Amino acid sequence: MDPRNDIQRRGGGGGAHTGVFLGGSPALTGAQSRRRKMPPRPADYKLQVIIIGSRGVGKTSLMERFTDDTFCEACKSTVGVDFKIKTVELRGKKIRLQIWDTAGQERFNSITSAYYRGAKGIVLVYDITKEETFEDLPKWMKMIDKYASEDAELLLVGNKLDCETDRVISRQQGEKFAQRISGMRFCEASAKDNYNVDEIFLKLVDDILNKLPLEIPNRELSNSILSLQPEPEVPPELPPPRPNLRCC
Amino acid sequence: MESGEAGSPDRSGLVSEDGKNTKTVLCQRCGSKVLCPGMALFTEKELFLPSMRRKPGAPSGSQEEGAMEGDVLRAHWLVDDMYTFENVGFTKEVGKVKYLICADCEIGPIGWHSLDDKKSFYVALERVTHA
Repeated sequence: MDPRNDIQRRGGGGGAHTGVFLGGSPALTGAQSRRRKMPPRPADYKLQVIIIGSRGVGKTSLMERFTDDTFCEACKSTVGVDFKIKTVELRGKKIRLQIWDTAGQERFNSITSAYYRGAKGIVLVYDITKEETFEDLPKWMKMIDKYASEDAELLLVGNKLDCETDRVISRQQGEKFAQRISGMRFCEASAKDNYNVDEIFLKLVDDILNKLPLEIPNRELSNSILSLQPEPEVPPELPPPRPNLRCC
Repeated sequence: MESGEAGSPDRSGLVSEDGKNTKTVLCQRCGSKVLCPGMALFTEKELFLPSMRRKPGAPSGSQEEGAMEGDVLRAHWLVDDMYTFENVGFTKEVGKVKYLICADCEIGPIGWHSLDDKKSFYVALERVTHA
């Protein structure tokens, strides 16, 4: 376990007040500044979320709001975004999400198990205007069954609500699919209009928090979450697939 | 290439006595919060960051790293754990470097991370705003 995490968790409550806390008063005595060295804990929880789905369903768009006019043209189009850290606050807790988008690795067998293994939340995306992306869902479910932690939260997202006129998959079809899988939530979204996008992540985090035992002391709890993650480093080279740990 | 002199824009008020950021670090374009006050250490290190915006008329094709326009920047906020960030994006590697970008609007690079030093994440003061 990374000892830094312990250090950072010192400092108790009041995370949300950081801005006020450090507002002015540049002149501090040594003792004061030492006391302030570890300001409010950076986060209460750290959770990995992955976004999967067939090519072109808008996975990447769910991770970002707009993409034009950035350095991306020079860099991103050739380099690409690997992952993001995003912070949400829910129920007075500060939660850091590490969000992985698997775009570009859409072939089912090319997304290695490493992505799934540490994920506490899995967003499975299809395009409401493309039937084949909906028909691919069972194949994605197979991957999830095979590699993901059994308690990972699942959320099915029918994307591209902004293309309502081209819709071929009804809302009911999506709902029905999600209902067949225990614990799977469903919603429709439009990454283009940013409709439901933030809500998707909040909903997922809410579900994840619901599954966490609340009475365990904070520290222990956090450690148990962290231990489910791979190294909190950038994992560019994915380790070899792990054998299937789920029985049946 | 521009010299990218990171000389000393007025930093009084940005750095606390113990070397931390006194203000919130934000994306220059969209205001997305990158770092909370007190979370990063001011540090000086010469790092090359490609330009935030491509020069008008510059070729749009892929460019070699060496040929990329950019600046050598010296003043950075340093954190040792990527979970210290409120919001940030990482590009895939260019050589052994991952660039940091805004997690929301993806402008960047705003920072630099080397796979050789897994405990160092730099955000260039010149590429962000402070509030």
